[in-house]
Amino acid sequence: MTTREKHNGLIDCDVHPVLSDFNELVPYLDESIQQYMNIGKFAKGALSKQNSGSFKFPASAYANPLPVPLRADAFPPNGDIPGSDPAFLASDLLDRCQTDYAILNIGHGTMSAFHNVEVAAKYTSAANDWLYDKWVKSDPRYRMTMEITPLDPALAVQEIERIGKRPEIVGINMHCVNIPLGKRHYWPIYEIAEAYNLPIVLHPDTEGTGEYAASFGVGPASTYMEWHTSLGLIGQRNVISLVCEGVFERFPNLKVNFIEYGFSWIAPTMWRMDKNWKALRHEVPWVKMLPSEYIRRNIRFGTQPIEEPARPKDLVELIQMIDAEHMLLFCSDYPHWDGDELDRAFLHFPKQLRHKVFYENPLASFRLQP
Amino acid sequence: MRSQEKHRLVLCSAEELREGERRLFEVDGVEIGLIRAEGTCYAFRNSCPHQGVPMLYGSVVGTMLPSEPQEYVYGLHNEIIRCPLHGWEFNLKTGKALFSPQVSIKMYDAKEEDDEIVLYLDREPQQIVQKQFACAL
Repeated sequence: MTTREKHNGLIDCDVHPVLSDFNELVPYLDESIQQYMNIGKFAKGALSKQNSGSFKFPASAYANPLPVPLRADAFPPNGDIPGSDPAFLASDLLDRCQTDYAILNIGHGTMSAFHNVEVAAKYTSAANDWLYDKWVKSDPRYRMTMEITPLDPALAVQEIERIGKRPEIVGINMHCVNIPLGKRHYWPIYEIAEAYNLPIVLHPDTEGTGEYAASFGVGPASTYMEWHTSLGLIGQRNVISLVCEGVFERFPNLKVNFIEYGFSWIAPTMWRMDKNWKALRHEVPWVKMLPSEYIRRNIRFGTQPIEEPARPKDLVELIQMIDAEHMLLFCSDYPHWDGDELDRAFLHFPKQLRHKVFYENPLASFRLQP
Repeated sequence: MRSQEKHRLVLCSAEELREGERRLFEVDGVEIGLIRAEGTCYAFRNSCPHQGVPMLYGSVVGTMLPSEPQEYVYGLHNEIIRCPLHGWEFNLKTGKALFSPQVSIKMYDAKEEDDEIVLYLDREPQQIVQKQFACAL
């Protein structure tokens, strides 16, 4: 059986292109930022190993302990990093899976939680232009999310006004900082996102990488495993904030897509929120229906990393139990180590549910239609 | 009048139910709470539909009305009774929960008539007992 026979349309909502080298951004950055980032003619390695030495792009303190922290079967023929070659990725992933659209979310990291927001904003614009020029123009199946600076909504709105109407841009990859997602701080971003019909995408990247990164609630993780497993807490906290602050009353058509934070935790989150709202609704009187109804209407979740209960069918039971068939978006997460293989990860999903997850839900949850 | 078709039951004198006071009756095995708030008498089944705790211990309050995001609008002053356990709000005039009209406490038709507090019931009551009741509210 070929892959095409296994699906009737496929939209991969999380594919990661990466920079081979930060010097790829030189054409998109003025000298002030090149100098700040030590790239182009300002490259210098001096003191890079010293405390407060040369600029380093923010990276997670949690190192993946695997021998190869990306999928080791995804190195392009030129030996560069997996995810660095648009043509190879197109053949290795899109041809193999017969993918209709791949939504590119920058995979080498972000400056969204970086302390110097002006530098972060200029880097972000450059990274968006690099992604568009190098990747999106290279294959008609590529679509992209644009990044913004969540710490500065005015700059974020400017960036959306600059490029947000390009048809290849299908969402806003906002990233998580230490301001809960429901706060009015973000509402100018939500206003333009709703007007442009662009979903907000939240994808782990800032967690542990910058001064404005969100905390993990109790305290720092000790290991990558602890860090990775705790990402769901960030998703959960932000879902609660979005609903309780009334975002979906003010912006009823806004979609927020949580990618890679897991999704099975949404069941008890819905139950507890609904229960609490019955008692405490007067504290959030703008929340006018059950919290779970807003969640079902406005929030979507990436499938990867697919959760693997001891009895795989239990996951389907849970999805049906909470009426979440329309809420899940297929993500391969290629070329990351924890990605999912299309024809193995969803074996227990009924055919109709697979089609929703693979195609119908992504089509309705990103700006993929004219 | 509908209430004329019902069975009239005198519960106590108006003197015995002053503003803010509460009394508990058992009518044919069913506990009925009686309360006076802002001059109006309310009678209701003394059991929350959620987990059954006695509603007569509930606070009588106003609440925040459905509003625009991030705005508070106070209203229904002393027309709400809150379940003493989880705080569910019920409108004393309708019995309906504020979170859903599908959920309610049973309200009885209570009136002040000729210095008496009177209840109108669908069925003729056989056994009426006033029970000891005290609460800190």
